Amino acid sequence: MNGDDVLIQARNLVKDYPMGDEVYHALRGVDLTVKRGEFLAIMGPSGSGKSTLLHLLGCLDTPTSGEYLLAGTPVHTLTADALAELRNREIGFIFQMFFLLPRSSALENVELPLIYAKVPPAERHQMALEALQFLKLETHAHHKPNQLSGGQRQQIAIARALVNKPSLIMADEPTGNLDSATSDKIMAQLSELNAMGNTLILVTHEPDVAAYAPRQVRIRDGKIVSDERVKKP
Amino acid sequence: MTAAALDKKSIYGFWGTLMELFRIALRAIWASKMRSFLTVLGIIIGVLAVVAVVSIMQGVFQSFLGRFEALGGDTLFIEPNYRLYKDYSEAVKRLKLTYSDAQAVAQDVPQVKEICAILNRQDAISFHGHHDTTQVWGTGDSFASMNSFTPEYGRFLAPMDVAARRKVCVLGHEVLDKLALSDDCVGQEIQIGHGTFQIVGVLQKKGGSVFGNQDDAVFIPLSTAILQYGQEAADSLLIQVQIRDPKLMDAAIERISAVLRRQHGLKFGQQDDFRTVTQDEILKQIKEFSSISTLVVGAIVGITLIVGGIGIMNIMLVSVTERTREIGIRMAVGAKRAHILYQFLIESVTLSTLGGVLGLVLGWGVAHLTVAILHHTVAESFPPAYVPVWVMFLSLGFAAFTGAVFGVYPAVKASRLDPIEALRYE
Repeated sequence: MNGDDVLIQARNLVKDYPMGDEVYHALRGVDLTVKRGEFLAIMGPSGSGKSTLLHLLGCLDTPTSGEYLLAGTPVHTLTADALAELRNREIGFIFQMFFLLPRSSALENVELPLIYAKVPPAERHQMALEALQFLKLETHAHHKPNQLSGGQRQQIAIARALVNKPSLIMADEPTGNLDSATSDKIMAQLSELNAMGNTLILVTHEPDVAAYAPRQVRIRDGKIVSDERVKKP
Repeated sequence: MTAAALDKKSIYGFWGTLMELFRIALRAIWASKMRSFLTVLGIIIGVLAVVAVVSIMQGVFQSFLGRFEALGGDTLFIEPNYRLYKDYSEAVKRLKLTYSDAQAVAQDVPQVKEICAILNRQDAISFHGHHDTTQVWGTGDSFASMNSFTPEYGRFLAPMDVAARRKVCVLGHEVLDKLALSDDCVGQEIQIGHGTFQIVGVLQKKGGSVFGNQDDAVFIPLSTAILQYGQEAADSLLIQVQIRDPKLMDAAIERISAVLRRQHGLKFGQQDDFRTVTQDEILKQIKEFSSISTLVVGAIVGITLIVGGIGIMNIMLVSVTERTREIGIRMAVGAKRAHILYQFLIESVTLSTLGGVLGLVLGWGVAHLTVAILHHTVAESFPPAYVPVWVMFLSLGFAAFTGAVFGVYPAVKASRLDPIEALRYE
């Protein structure tokens, strides 16, 4: 049953972008295996390829070459619509800029993935409310994003990432727009999610933030340069 | 998950998603009300124009139809066959349809119930320094019963008036106003053309009839009219025939044709120099004219709607650009291309349909307002506007169609966005 434990299996991922007449090699062959329940941080300076890796692992894009299996699904062969369905079912995103719909309430934002998962309204409200309760934000369910603080907005985004019970939660610089106190709170909540068994991939360039992850992968010039497990302090 | 729950989900699937997308569309429209309104202004004006113009026109046609339908299926007209000559004035000179023709038809066509010969002229009228013009109808007593004209004061023309060529007249109601006559004018004398006529009756207000505005007309004995207007007028009459039963129409027409050909001494192979016109034919012509003019208006308005549609496409393209981030977010959490495509398509269809509804309501209002104004200024007998159901459905359908056609390109553009690029968009 060893195969069931592996959530992500990436082999020799290459991503090239055409830049005029030349080709920009964003990823030059990345191998990565992530087991279910892991919490890893992908670190690297800007331009290192960590965003490209996040997009590939998050099924927002497909590699130029190489293989990527997510929960056994060969992502590298999928069409745009199949990728959308896979994202909907298996992945929850948390972004630096929160990326909430400004005209929709907190509850409606959390419900968004469930709409595309065709969950009927009553069930959907219930699931979204539960996700908000988990983050202790149920009292703000009917607030619009602009009526909430940055930390609260990011918590709404976390609730949205959780609501469809995905296999993988991807956080892209989740604290990049928050002050340090709020950052700590958010990271503590993400750690809690991981402790509950959620697989978490965190992309950051801040060592403080990365320190929450027991596994740290460093990337530079499109290649993984180190992959180490660190003991929690 | 149980099988039943799965089943429920799949039933929810299509319609549920559609409802969801519709809700999203309404919200987006409502979020920028002013812009939505300006976007569909072209559609609103287009639909307003078609509804207003068509319903006023339909009102006029309906009232015409009503007049001819009131005649009944047992009525036919005989007139000189003006189509025989290219030149109308030549036709009037050469063709003859006389009082003796009418008498021959009355005697020799057994299907005839009633008949009257009619002479029509426009002429000046005056009374104690008040001058005006009106339609003068030279006819006989049967005219009133055949066309259900009822006198309000006095009486209609009598057989004796015609036989004795009396200089008497019956007035339409509007003529009282034109000549500033009082209600008890019966017995007084007015000038019609160069003759002096005694008023013997005033008709009830009736509005439009097959003979135009019957309220603005005077009726005099045919024999007197022939004296007054001369031989040329006497030679080109209109003959109205009522037959005993509508089923006898074909037989009657055949018989009338035979009688008149004999009267006119037409040889075998010569074309009829007269023409019979039935109510059915007139109704058919009105309907034909009605649909042709509606089609013309429709085509003009169709162009307006295309312009309106371009406006919608323009704003939808702007909207897609502005909402690139939103599209990115939706795609990231699992929206497929079709979801995004339909979201924007439904938005433009909803927007243009709402514009169509608004245009319909405003058009209805404008039509009735226009008629009310015409009523009070130009013509009291102007028929009320009539909005046929098909106009409502057609204009709404066309508005929705315009939204769909011009919404496709922006929606396709939105659905083809790359999620990563869309999320990065500032």
